[in-house]
Amino acid sequence: MNDFSFGLTITVTGMSLVFSVLALLWGILNLLIRFDQPAAAESPDLTPEPEPEVTTAGSLSAEELAAITIAVRLHAATLRQEAAPTVRSYWPGSLLFASRWVAAGRTRQNQSWQRRR
Amino acid sequence: METPEEQLATLFRLRERALQGGGPERVAQQHARGKLTARERLALLLDPNSFQEIGALASSPLGDEDQRVPGDGIVTGFGKINGRRVAVFAQDFTVMGGSFSAVQANKICRMQDLAIESGIPIIGLNDSGGARIQEGVRSLAAYGEVFVRNVMASGVVPQISAILGPCAGGAVYSPALTDFVIMSESTGYMFLTGPDVIKAVSGRELSTQELGGAAVHCVRSGVAHLSAADDRAVIELIKRLLSYLPQNNNEDPPQIMPYDRADRIEPALNSLVPADERQGYDIHTLINLICDYDSFLEIQPLFAPNAVVGFARLDGYAVGIVANQPAVMAGALDIDASDKIARFVRICDAFNIPLITFVDTPGFLPGVEQEYGGVIRHGAKIIYAYSEATVPKISVVVRKAIGGAYVAMSSKQLRCDLNFAWPSAQIAVMGAEGAVRILRREELRTAENPAQLMEQFIADYRRRYFNPYHAADLGQIDEVIEPAETRPRLIRALEILRTKVQQNPPRKHGLYPS
Repeated sequence: MNDFSFGLTITVTGMSLVFSVLALLWGILNLLIRFDQPAAAESPDLTPEPEPEVTTAGSLSAEELAAITIAVRLHAATLRQEAAPTVRSYWPGSLLFASRWVAAGRTRQNQSWQRRR
Repeated sequence: METPEEQLATLFRLRERALQGGGPERVAQQHARGKLTARERLALLLDPNSFQEIGALASSPLGDEDQRVPGDGIVTGFGKINGRRVAVFAQDFTVMGGSFSAVQANKICRMQDLAIESGIPIIGLNDSGGARIQEGVRSLAAYGEVFVRNVMASGVVPQISAILGPCAGGAVYSPALTDFVIMSESTGYMFLTGPDVIKAVSGRELSTQELGGAAVHCVRSGVAHLSAADDRAVIELIKRLLSYLPQNNNEDPPQIMPYDRADRIEPALNSLVPADERQGYDIHTLINLICDYDSFLEIQPLFAPNAVVGFARLDGYAVGIVANQPAVMAGALDIDASDKIARFVRICDAFNIPLITFVDTPGFLPGVEQEYGGVIRHGAKIIYAYSEATVPKISVVVRKAIGGAYVAMSSKQLRCDLNFAWPSAQIAVMGAEGAVRILRREELRTAENPAQLMEQFIADYRRRYFNPYHAADLGQIDEVIEPAETRPRLIRALEILRTKVQQNPPRKHGLYPS
């Protein structure tokens, strides 16, 4: 019985000692972490900003929306029909390069034909 | 001795005077007539801040000093339209009714000379009461100076005339010598002799619009090529027309970025031509389905509507379209249609625009009036124009191509580069009934039942000759194509022909049938 009591005492004492050391270590580490960190900045204001007022299609009347759509499409069609610079892939009369017509030697068509000698 | 400040003050005063034109009252009157002033028109026509005026301070040496107006009733200069350099002149009706003077002529001639030398289009906005009577023969001689330059510029640089007000007497010949005449339906009119003279000579009373309005020249006389409601619409039309034309005869027309699929197949074309050959259809439908979406600009749409000509785009490239219109007179060629087609073919050839021809014609229109009117020499113009043209030429026989009209409408022998035909094509010397009556005359005369035999012969004739395959056998047709694939076929053919070079024999000029 005495042996049992002695064993129990040793167990409790050992466990208490180990856990006490562990608790001490935890405390020391926490202190080290706290002292090691830079001074914490002020926490940012995380409240969401009010959304800017955007005019959406929902705020336009059907007539306004239709008018804008037609105007945009008409403008695009006019640019296309007039071969405006924004839709042009070949620019006649450019001062930067010779015309393709000249480059291909087709101006010969505008000159008198020469008989073979 | 004037100081530099005084010299500048004089210049600024004259400039200000030129900008005022005929003064606020005359400008208000011009607006009341529904017309814009010369400078307002140019502001609409040209890109912002692109106009540089030439001859702004020139004034007529005749008359009192205080009555002289700098500019002398015309605004001339250079500018840009959609970034393209152009020479322009605009007659100012607020100054002495825009009357044509020697100074006006000098200014116009200067623009014409510079336009020819620089290779840029020249656009004239006409609004003039006629010759300035006070100048006598000077103003008449001045007309001649302009005319000769119109001719020298012809086929070298595009010339476009807008008739936005009166254009009477000798003045009409300058627009008539240009490539395109566009009239304002509300205010433009042109005639050689006015209503007063007509009334004195024939007793007939006519208004200026009835005598020479847009309705007359766009529908009956064929003098004008296009018309629009008012000044603004005419100016928009000029811009659109210019988009199909090059700067000069050494240039290609503008090419725009393709916006319609080149390989687009159009199944609707397969059923466009009615099975009944006597039934017409609108050739515009065919043209619009084949060409780039919304790209067709018809020229002379109301004059000789049995033929359709105009500019369009295929894969972004400008092309000239010539077609018979089966919905009007079955597409038969008459005097006016011949003139219309021939002139358009020559314009395309002069300005390097490939030609696409859609053929569906039963032939030249028979009739005493046509024969007396000279349909032979008018029809010869088509043959001459197609034969002379060196631009890429492609034809598509859609249905009828009968007799002389088949030859005239860009046939293989007229140096057409590629001849396509639809399966519905009927290529023959003459119509089935006429041919059978001649070929089977004896058999029909002796037959017990001539009507039945006639039907048999006609059916046989149709089977043997009224198809494209006989012509394809002989090499007259290069390929019989499915109608739905016409667009990609044409685009590929044009791609091949883009570098085509063909020369005509040396000569001063050909003798064009006239």
